[in-house]
Amino acid sequence: MAAADALLTGLPVSTLRGATPLLFVLLGECLTQRAGRINLGVEGQMLVGAAAGYGVTALSGSPALGLAAGAAAGALLSTVFAVLTVAVDADPFASGLAVWMLGFGVSAFAGTALVGLRIDGWMPWAGGITPTIALALALVPVCGFGLLHTRTGLRWRAVGESPEHARAAGVTPWHYIVAGVLVGGVLSGLGGAALSVDYTRTWAEGMTAGRGLVAVGLVIVARWNPWLALPAALLFGLAEALSLRLQAADSAVSAHLLHTLPYLASLGVFAITCARLRRRPGGGAPAALGALLAR
Amino acid sequence: MTTVAALAATPLRAAFVRAAAAIGVFAALASLFFVSIGQPPATMFVEIARAAAGSGYAVGESLVRATPIMLCALATLVPARLGLVSVGADGQLYAGAIVGTGALLAWPLAPGPVLLSAVLVGGAIGGALWALGPALLRAFVPVHETISTLMLNWVAAMLVTWLVHGAWRNPASQGWPASIEFPDTARLPVLGDSRVHAGLALALVLAVVLHAVLTRTRSGLVLDVLRDNPRLQAVTGCAVAPRIVATMLVGGAFAGLAGIVETSVVQGRLQSDLANGAGLAGFLVAWLAGNRVPQTVALALLVGAVLAAGDGLQIATAVPSSATLVVQGLMFVALLAVGGASARWRGVGHGRG
Repeated sequence: MAAADALLTGLPVSTLRGATPLLFVLLGECLTQRAGRINLGVEGQMLVGAAAGYGVTALSGSPALGLAAGAAAGALLSTVFAVLTVAVDADPFASGLAVWMLGFGVSAFAGTALVGLRIDGWMPWAGGITPTIALALALVPVCGFGLLHTRTGLRWRAVGESPEHARAAGVTPWHYIVAGVLVGGVLSGLGGAALSVDYTRTWAEGMTAGRGLVAVGLVIVARWNPWLALPAALLFGLAEALSLRLQAADSAVSAHLLHTLPYLASLGVFAITCARLRRRPGGGAPAALGALLAR
Repeated sequence: MTTVAALAATPLRAAFVRAAAAIGVFAALASLFFVSIGQPPATMFVEIARAAAGSGYAVGESLVRATPIMLCALATLVPARLGLVSVGADGQLYAGAIVGTGALLAWPLAPGPVLLSAVLVGGAIGGALWALGPALLRAFVPVHETISTLMLNWVAAMLVTWLVHGAWRNPASQGWPASIEFPDTARLPVLGDSRVHAGLALALVLAVVLHAVLTRTRSGLVLDVLRDNPRLQAVTGCAVAPRIVATMLVGGAFAGLAGIVETSVVQGRLQSDLANGAGLAGFLVAWLAGNRVPQTVALALLVGAVLAAGDGLQIATAVPSSATLVVQGLMFVALLAVGGASARWRGVGHGRG
């Protein structure tokens, strides 16, 4: 019983804490994909966000400034993806991977200056909630309502469904696609900063460890719906919280093996979603992505 | 006559223009980066060139760095010939390193040639096994292979960390988590006193064979036909599913070889982080080479040289070696931008295939 208590006490908050960085990225990538682009570069955008957020927090002493810097860094890097896939129409998968590689390089280079810096981060409010968690949760209804119930959201989705029809209706598609990529950049940068400034409170090279790419897969699990991004992110957070707790509880299974749990859980739900989408073609996928997803 | 000459000259001239544009865009981006970190661009370019190819030692280091990238690029290329976007070379590389090292641990005292073959074949099998899951999921569900292979990369990396911290840890290596050292009998030979090893020759031979199979045999032709029009499988009787599995397994074997060669010859033991970004670099190399073997080999050598320059750069200019990671990223961005722009110029959409 004692072991089970140690495992379960405060699990909801730990889950929320682990899910928060991912939730930002997931919402951002969801909006990007709804505008008709899949951006694998979110991994690199998270990394520059994490490095910039950590550096600015350490220098200024203000986690809020750190988050803002992370968002700016993510947005800046996402302009590279926007130029590649909108201005010159390069392949989105290869462009995303190039942006990831560039973000990894830039954050590793800038990160050498961050070694040894210390930050305090935020004192959690009652119940262990931090401002970062609150911001991420608040963004769910903002994105959900904005995308699904406003005029701008309707145009945004129309561009993702069919740029040709959107153009015929008087909408300029590339405005929305670039906006989609940049919003994804802001939110993935925020997610990276939330990771380094609030969750781990450290900087390490490559510290996002695939969270951005997991988010790309979980967007499909969430059926491109910002409201469903919350449960998808919580699933990853729960797997991560459990792996950390089993480790603390001296589980017979090695900690290193437990770390694979969030990835395997994400891959599992991703595969199940794909299998179900097969029976209901489309399944909420923006039609303009169809050619990329089901070749 | 003039029309014939003009027709022959046009693609070549276009290729030259593209190459010049790519170099120009890259030089501009890299100069911007160097200026922003307070370094004179001209000096940096000279130092990078010197560190990459300025001496016999530098060339050797460049070739050592290029070898896993070349194998990982071939690992991406084989499934891509069928139109698959596999980004799992990193994970397959780790899996190959695991199974190959497992072969060593299982028969450490086997006679040299047997042990060496077991280690290499183990590496190839490990890589292929790691590709099997995404291949089956893609062929029969279908689960998008790009995302499944990406997620499995981290799982494989963590399995290596788990093994070298636990069951396979060498007790004699003091605090450092690593397996036992590979004995000389389990290592490919090296060239003279350099670190260049027979793995490079192996990669080049495999590249030639692969090129012949892809361009000169029926199997290679079938891949091209099915990639360009998947609906032809019904007409031609060439099923796609078995070919998805086959190309993914062959690709995985290439990446697995990269992993075991890097582990046994270059690092000498299994340890974490051995991929060093080879899988991702390999993916972009294959992609930008249009998934054609000769161009892939050439571009892999170039990327290996840039990355190998990092350490020399750090010594010569005190700029951290991670600067070359940025330079590598800018190089790929420049190549993609010019490739996309020229495809758009000619009125072709996404520069795929």
